[in-house]
Amino acid sequence: MTEIDLEDLIENLMQCRRCGTCRNAVYENKGFDGVCPVWRNSAGFETSFMRGRIQVALALLDGTLEKTPENAEALFTCTLCGSCTEICAAEFDPMECLEKVRAVLSDIPNDVRDALAEKIMQYDNPYEEDEGIKRNWIKEVGFDVPSVGKVLYYTGCTAGIRLPNIAKSTAKILKTAGIDFAVLQNEPCCGSVMIRTGRVEDAKKNAEKLAEVIKSAGVERIIVTCAGCLKTIRNDYPKLGIELPEVLHVTELVQEVIKDKKLKLKSLEGVKITYHDPCHLSRAAGVYDAPREVIKAIPEVEFVEMETNREAAMCCGAGGGVRSYNPELSKKMAADRVRSAIEVGAEIIATACPFCENNLLAGVKIEGSKTRVFDVVDLVAESLEK
Amino acid sequence: MDKKILRELTNIVGEEYVSTRKDVLLTYSASASTSYERVFPGAVIRPKTTEEVSQILKVASKHKLPITPRGGGSSLQGEVIPQPDGLVIDLMRLDEIRLYEDLQSVTVGAGITFAVLDKYLNKHDIWIPYYPGSSMAATIAGNVAVNGAGFGSPIYGCVAEHVLGVEVVLPDGNVIQTGSEANPNSPGPFLRYAFGPDLTGLFIGSLGSFGIITKVSLKTQKRMKFFDYNTYGFETVEQAQQFLIEMRQNDINSLWVALYEGRILDFFLDMVGEEYGVPQHEWPNYTVSAAFGRVREDQLQSDVNAAKDVCEQLGGHVIGIKELPRGEWEDRLREFVRSSYVHGWHWRILYHHQPLIQWHKSMNELWAIMDQYGILGHTAGFQSQRSYNFYPQLYYDPQDKEEEEKVIEAHRDLSKRLFKTGAVPFKLAEYWKDAIEGMDDYMAFLKQIKSMIDPNNILNPGLLEGAEK
Repeated sequence: MTEIDLEDLIENLMQCRRCGTCRNAVYENKGFDGVCPVWRNSAGFETSFMRGRIQVALALLDGTLEKTPENAEALFTCTLCGSCTEICAAEFDPMECLEKVRAVLSDIPNDVRDALAEKIMQYDNPYEEDEGIKRNWIKEVGFDVPSVGKVLYYTGCTAGIRLPNIAKSTAKILKTAGIDFAVLQNEPCCGSVMIRTGRVEDAKKNAEKLAEVIKSAGVERIIVTCAGCLKTIRNDYPKLGIELPEVLHVTELVQEVIKDKKLKLKSLEGVKITYHDPCHLSRAAGVYDAPREVIKAIPEVEFVEMETNREAAMCCGAGGGVRSYNPELSKKMAADRVRSAIEVGAEIIATACPFCENNLLAGVKIEGSKTRVFDVVDLVAESLEK
Repeated sequence: MDKKILRELTNIVGEEYVSTRKDVLLTYSASASTSYERVFPGAVIRPKTTEEVSQILKVASKHKLPITPRGGGSSLQGEVIPQPDGLVIDLMRLDEIRLYEDLQSVTVGAGITFAVLDKYLNKHDIWIPYYPGSSMAATIAGNVAVNGAGFGSPIYGCVAEHVLGVEVVLPDGNVIQTGSEANPNSPGPFLRYAFGPDLTGLFIGSLGSFGIITKVSLKTQKRMKFFDYNTYGFETVEQAQQFLIEMRQNDINSLWVALYEGRILDFFLDMVGEEYGVPQHEWPNYTVSAAFGRVREDQLQSDVNAAKDVCEQLGGHVIGIKELPRGEWEDRLREFVRSSYVHGWHWRILYHHQPLIQWHKSMNELWAIMDQYGILGHTAGFQSQRSYNFYPQLYYDPQDKEEEEKVIEAHRDLSKRLFKTGAVPFKLAEYWKDAIEGMDDYMAFLKQIKSMIDPNNILNPGLLEGAEK
């Protein structure tokens, strides 16, 4: 990943024949009802979806466009959700190429990108919080959690700092299932947003730091609750030359323990739940069934799919650095996704990524909706409590 | 672009929907047409309503501002390449759909794509049995402006045959409605040829040079549910051509009919054969791939039997490999898009119609051009009622400028040769201008119409050479 072959990248970008399928294709056979969430929720110029982004990228690379922040905006308003990759007929991966373009063109000034990277390097999280804060939630779970052990719950920045309920729910589930686990004393960020926004060299240094910490904690298996952490550690780290122990998303683990009858779930009283696929868990990691099976395992839950789901699911707008780069656009996309849930009558939107949850909550607020947003682990934990 | 004009445009649609940014203009300087030089417009505007389009054209007319209307941007022959410093009107925000179930028709805004409409109609168990191979990106209005053809065309012909009327904004900003809807008391679209001369036809295939289509009204039909597929082999081209003709004469409902020369079929299967699950086969000299569709099962069975009889009477044989036509039909929303991605090449394309009986003439010219210029190419196509709609593609490596130039020259030459065989384009197209000979009075008449409707020559200028004042 660090060594990007520019010639190869350009050749790949030129695979785009500008057909425009990546804009708003409807393809019932594959479940698509639109493709690009940015195009749907912005002024909709050609620069707002992948066909235009690729043209801009090529023009920046060959000098047709001057390397200015304004000219590079199209590169950074993409959530890298991968929906276009899923439907594209060409023999290249547009999402992956755009991510590489961001890295190659990292000399173009971008204050948001740079500030995020610097915060992570300085604070080990993008929220400028002190080291160790990611263990604060442990005080509320009622039992001790060691900082070293064979099974590591890698909390992640958003669950550890902004949405600690997810961490607490996860802890309760693991405890109930009889799985001993540890949480790092000082947990470095996985660096997902650095990779997505093109600060790959910094991301590599950060990843090496995390790898060292994990290694010294004697970890054999990593559990994550964040889809971004999963994609980064499972998919990106090997490309950076960093090997970590097996990493599992918590829904994959919970599916296993439910199957092994290690959890007894009680009714949530007929609530209607839909599931939003986090792009980094679904299209990037291929985890579609586990979260759905976990939700369906809760007695008396009415599970309903949104119009777009699984491989064709519309993104909530949180990823790819867009939540920081253009929060207003990001929240509009979330509101759009919330409307999809409302359309199918869902009372709860369950998801499996704190970053998605955070943005969907913003979407609910915009819509003024009574729809509630929870992580799948929160639902399971609630079901355990009853 | 002049700041005063921009202010006027911004006042119409709001600041958010007008752009003069260099990056935005770059993305409107090209379309899916590869091998066409980029031309940067001066601004892009994205209106939401017909009224806004009307006001934009009034401003453009006042300032003699060249206009390029644009839909899905999926056209392949430079149709939406703008004028230098001109205005591109992106019509994708005109996204209304209105169904007239009792009239068996539907009206769509200029931003509606075929795939969007198909999904909508599917909920009502109806459809428009017509799918250009770029249905997921192409708008209906844009396709009407180029008079496209596609899946469904063997029976129903070009998109023109589905159209009941259009709403058009003329260059002076006036809005007219053609067909039965011209009557303000009309319950909706039900007859195209109302009030005498077919004004609808004036705008079909016009590339927006007489007016901008803002709405299209189309016929809907009960959705077919019964399909069958087969392949038919022939030793001579005459047999194969005659098979296509006789399928029509025998009222066989073939929604998709493609005639492949052996070596062309091998090339095509190299692209999609595995995905479609087509088994290995020693294909005959000529293969016809056909998909049949009917509302009732008994009708379908009758068609299947009749196709077999016609084939055998002509000396052909039923090959029995269904995967090829099934794959083509089921992939109809994007079949052409898929086949565009062959082997990493880019290409220049030359759509045209050839009478069925002259299918071989287009093939002969294509092979001759490839030999003469030493380039690679391919052609596919399909039956479109009485004609065969060819789309020969001449390939080049996008990073080899010399090869690209050679392909542009070969393309020009091919259009001349095809015109001489009697082939015709199905729209006003810049690349045919050099080829057309012996149509002086026809072209003069067309230019007269253009001068009358668009005296300032703002709509797609240059398309009808000499019409400019």
